[in-house]
Amino acid sequence: MSILEVRDLSVEFTQRGGPRLRAVDNVSFELRAGETLALVGESGSGKSTVARALCRLVAPSSGEVLLRGAPAGRRGRALRRYRREVQLVLQDPFASLNPSFSVEHHIRRPLRISGHPRAGIDQQIDQLLRSVNLSPPRVMAKKYPHELSGGQRQRVAIARALAPDPAVMLADEPVSMLDVSIRLEILNLLDALKRDRNLALLYITHDLATARHFSGRIMVMYRGEIVEYGPADEVILNPAHPYTELLESAVPRAAVTRGQLVLQRRERLQVRKTAPPADRRELAADTGCRFRGRCPYAMEICATHPPDFEVSAGHTARCWLRDPAGAAGRTA
Amino acid sequence: MTTMSEEPMTPAPAAAGQLSALAGDVVLRAEHVSVEYAGAQPTHAVRNVSLELRRGEVLGIAGESGCGKSTLAYALARLLRPPARLTSGTIQFYSRDRSDPVDIMALDAAALRRFRWAKVSMVFQSAMNALNPVISLGKQFGDIFIEHVPEMGRAARDQRSRELLEMVGISPDRIRSFPHELSGGMRQRVVIAMALALQPEIVIMDEPTTALDVVVQQEILDEIHRLKEEIGFSIIFITHDLSLLLDISDRLAIMYAGEIVEYGYSEQVAARPAHPYTYGLLHSFPELRADRHELRGVPGSPPDLREAIVGCAFTPRCRFAFGPCLSTHPDLRSPSHAPRLALVPGGGQVTGPDISSAGWSVACHLHDPKLRPAGPPAEIAQPAGSSEPAVTTGEDT
Repeated sequence: MSILEVRDLSVEFTQRGGPRLRAVDNVSFELRAGETLALVGESGSGKSTVARALCRLVAPSSGEVLLRGAPAGRRGRALRRYRREVQLVLQDPFASLNPSFSVEHHIRRPLRISGHPRAGIDQQIDQLLRSVNLSPPRVMAKKYPHELSGGQRQRVAIARALAPDPAVMLADEPVSMLDVSIRLEILNLLDALKRDRNLALLYITHDLATARHFSGRIMVMYRGEIVEYGPADEVILNPAHPYTELLESAVPRAAVTRGQLVLQRRERLQVRKTAPPADRRELAADTGCRFRGRCPYAMEICATHPPDFEVSAGHTARCWLRDPAGAAGRTA
Repeated sequence: MTTMSEEPMTPAPAAAGQLSALAGDVVLRAEHVSVEYAGAQPTHAVRNVSLELRRGEVLGIAGESGCGKSTLAYALARLLRPPARLTSGTIQFYSRDRSDPVDIMALDAAALRRFRWAKVSMVFQSAMNALNPVISLGKQFGDIFIEHVPEMGRAARDQRSRELLEMVGISPDRIRSFPHELSGGMRQRVVIAMALALQPEIVIMDEPTTALDVVVQQEILDEIHRLKEEIGFSIIFITHDLSLLLDISDRLAIMYAGEIVEYGYSEQVAARPAHPYTYGLLHSFPELRADRHELRGVPGSPPDLREAIVGCAFTPRCRFAFGPCLSTHPDLRSPSHAPRLALVPGGGQVTGPDISSAGWSVACHLHDPKLRPAGPPAEIAQPAGSSEPAVTTGEDT
């Protein structure tokens, strides 16, 4: 069941002495209850802006967000009701908790604000702490952020997001600041919470491997656009957009010998030698496909902006290579 | 440079050929280094660590936050500040010009100032904070040369700074830019260029790519590798991301609770991790293309380093812990499945009793045939999907 539907969402920022920057450009997708949708892309692609727009920390410049079919509240009580349903977990648990307040305070506040009566609030706090595996809850509740490890802090942040009993959880790089050894615990926790509470989870990350392993569907974002969308395994194992291919190839492979690594490295450096210097590569192509400056398959038609082409059922890519009518069949 | 040579330590075994001597050439040797943070109850952040860095190699140091890897790196460059204090150990630096070894701990303030950055430089974790936000890149490069090469003129400094930027793939006219005008990846390139400004022999990199995304991370790693090949320096690469280390480092040191628990060639360690902790780390990130299966990570958290640790520090988190782990501290030994032939840099091979220094060691009772005659459990030390029995060694090294 679709809980949150996003239609043609755009977010623009003003820039000093220049045109407006379109950080998110006509993005549409839906979040379903009990399902994880991953949003992947490099820094600056607009992933976090999507999350910020969805919880109304920035105002979208156009587009619609529907919660259970009804337009999201824009101000006042309606906005508060919407925000209660759509909660955010931020990247950095060292910055997202207030160092001068206890764990308990961080969870009591959202409970009170969302109308929980004073009576029984301690039990509710304990239950939330238990649900994120912070035990014993009474001891943890009295602690301050500096007494907690990164993983524990992120659990507090998750408990805080769960306090208003949301339907949608937006997790913006929830594990990228954490140690590799505890990342899985946090991701497994989010996965379990999603299942138990029938949450719709948007998992924003630049880590393709966890995106694949923890989500049903993946969206790939490049410079504000969704360039590929489909079932997780499909997108990762059969990438249809050259940008997804690039992301996929950049992931270190454990199963490769050192000799092969050195060879691959040489090849990549050779390719980059002919490319423009690192700081010039990103110069925008205003019309047409935004990836064409970096795309190894760029063709003439790429100067025209590509529409979404269906690759297989439920799997689309915004790339002319996938145009069934195009003569540009690719062999790769 | 002031050199305080103590009794001459034998550098790499005097070999017959010049080439093989170079291959095993040690540039930095740390022995029994311990660091503690003073306090009501001192924190023993690094405990009795010995390691060797060879010329031209990348030594990876991996471990969770709080395992002492950054503290160790700071100690090696003598950057520790109170309350951190080096309580024991020696750190020797062997220059490429074959002069006497430098005892880093014995350098006086002036000598240390000349030594740092010229011989050992560092790339810090956050490129954002490593650069001064209110000074242009040109000035920040200039500062290095003004301090270390005072005879260099303004024009020469400018020229050299431009060259350095170009070397890391940034157009030289960026010299007038300020840090905020660059993306995260570009800033990290600048920081690397600065670390290489004086052609140091060792560059210590503390989580240099942690804040970057995969594509940029790969570019930076490729760049580091290329510069290393072209210029020739050794790298100590610190990160908690083991998959990254397997990609870049020649040898690995896995740290846990302030100690090195496994030490060996990346390929060997990746294929057949000998320590249960290494095994856990290797299984805590999903493989992109592999089938979906349940992943565990390493549940639990590291011990409090203020407390005295009895037995093996990893015991509470170890699935394979048995009697002796609770009481006896495990020393480094060669793994029971270590091959009798160990790789040495340069492609040659050594055999026999030299194995611990040549290759692989692990601090785990599972590999002690006296305590565990049956050898380590099947999961540890077995290459994935292979039924080949682990090679057992009878004697200790």
